[in-house]
Amino acid sequence: MNSDYALELRGVRKSYPGFTLKDVCFTLPRGVIGGLIGPNGSGKTTIIKLIMNLVRREAGEIRVFGLDNRAAEVEVKSRIGFVYDVPGYWDDQSLDSQRRALGAFYPRWSDETFLRLAREFSLPLDKKYKALSHGAKTTFALAMALSHEADLLIMDEPTAGLDLIVRRELLRRLSVLLQDEGKSVLFSTHITSDLERVADVITFIRAGEVVFSLGRDELLDGWAIVRGDDRVIRELDPRLVKGSRCRPFGVEALVSDGVSARRSVGSRAVVDKVTLDDVMVLMTAEDRHAA
Amino acid sequence: MLRNALRKDLLLNARHLWGILPWFLWVAYAMSEPDAGRITAVGAAFIGSLMAATIGAREDKLRTTATLASLPVSRRTLVEARYVVAYAVGVATYAVVVAMAALLPWSVQRVGELVQTRTLLLTLALASGAIAALLPVVIRFGILGVVVFLGVFQMLGVGLMVAFEFFGLRSSVGVFSAIERGIAALHRGLDQPVVIVQTAVVVGLAVWSSYRLSAFLAERREL
Repeated sequence: MNSDYALELRGVRKSYPGFTLKDVCFTLPRGVIGGLIGPNGSGKTTIIKLIMNLVRREAGEIRVFGLDNRAAEVEVKSRIGFVYDVPGYWDDQSLDSQRRALGAFYPRWSDETFLRLAREFSLPLDKKYKALSHGAKTTFALAMALSHEADLLIMDEPTAGLDLIVRRELLRRLSVLLQDEGKSVLFSTHITSDLERVADVITFIRAGEVVFSLGRDELLDGWAIVRGDDRVIRELDPRLVKGSRCRPFGVEALVSDGVSARRSVGSRAVVDKVTLDDVMVLMTAEDRHAA
Repeated sequence: MLRNALRKDLLLNARHLWGILPWFLWVAYAMSEPDAGRITAVGAAFIGSLMAATIGAREDKLRTTATLASLPVSRRTLVEARYVVAYAVGVATYAVVVAMAALLPWSVQRVGELVQTRTLLLTLALASGAIAALLPVVIRFGILGVVVFLGVFQMLGVGLMVAFEFFGLRSSVGVFSAIERGIAALHRGLDQPVVIVQTAVVVGLAVWSSYRLSAFLAERREL
């Protein structure tokens, strides 16, 4: 396998009662920010847990920088900075104790980096973890993840529950991190505006399946929303239509080729640029229509 | 890596281990009771080991088990650390009781009795039994495992009492005295090389099997 990729998933499968992650395939090139999006329960967290080997895959292959995530688990994890959706730390211990105890596991741990980040995030190192706000807990987890020169940062819903200012700051840091140090990032979120801001590659998951994994520009510039009368929408090439829903004015359709759609409908419908929100809503809506 | 895992267990779970302090109040009182030294020391090491063995349950409650599993350390090493910490705390607890027997002004205990080889070996065997039985359950089921483990013993005790009180089954009470007699016999026997070897083999096998089971369960646990 090509180790130019920070992350490669091939045919990954995992079943739970009532849910199956089916043959997941996608890659994340080095130095790229990738976003995992999808409705609740679509399998985003399961994919992240599989990468971190927190749950056991039933089939397929997961490679991090070309290394199998199970066979070379210790080496792989020393190169990953991980932020859980609900960070789990020792409630009754100070941040500094946790830094001393957990930092020792990483061969490239840097106290200097951690202390600098703690200062920048205004983290009170002498305070107990349970005394922190949700935002501070997340930024502490982020500081821990960024202090061992990780090559790949994996975050599960890192911005959930954070206020707008902290969220923006977090995203700004992610961008800086990539520009300055060439790190790779994979993060799941249901806040699509976060992804539009920073992600280079977007992977959409629905009901345990990867629906697409595309570059942000390819998606946002190439795809489009067509709004118009039902009869006009029906004239679109069905292979281009990725989802649709009824609206008071007619029908709204998500198409994977805006130029072709514009050529097809002419002035009889409105063709707009797509947002990730549109993609999420319409691709999930298609599911409901199908049902 | 084992060193880091041990350091982590002791640094981040010190508060949990301080839970043993109230036991030392009783130890301090018991030092004034003739013939209480040995049972107090053995009991303290036993409780200390159990306390340390339940660190995993506390971490499970705090949801830190997944954080640990995301560190660059194998789950097997984390399991090894659990066993080592349980033994280390048991030894430290025993040492504190010996120090109390020697130093407390009201102590009537003979320190020499507490550091006899057979008493030390008996303590090691009993603490090993507790560690071997409890750790796989804690590692697989966390706090729930501890509750079920203690619950099963509680139910067994209640069952025996009911059998004695309501059905007059004297043999049910005999279970307790049989255990007591068994421990006393083992203590006496641990003077003889054959018994020492036999005990070492049984305890060693029990702890080795327990460790293998714990590692197997930890590696397959989904977090």
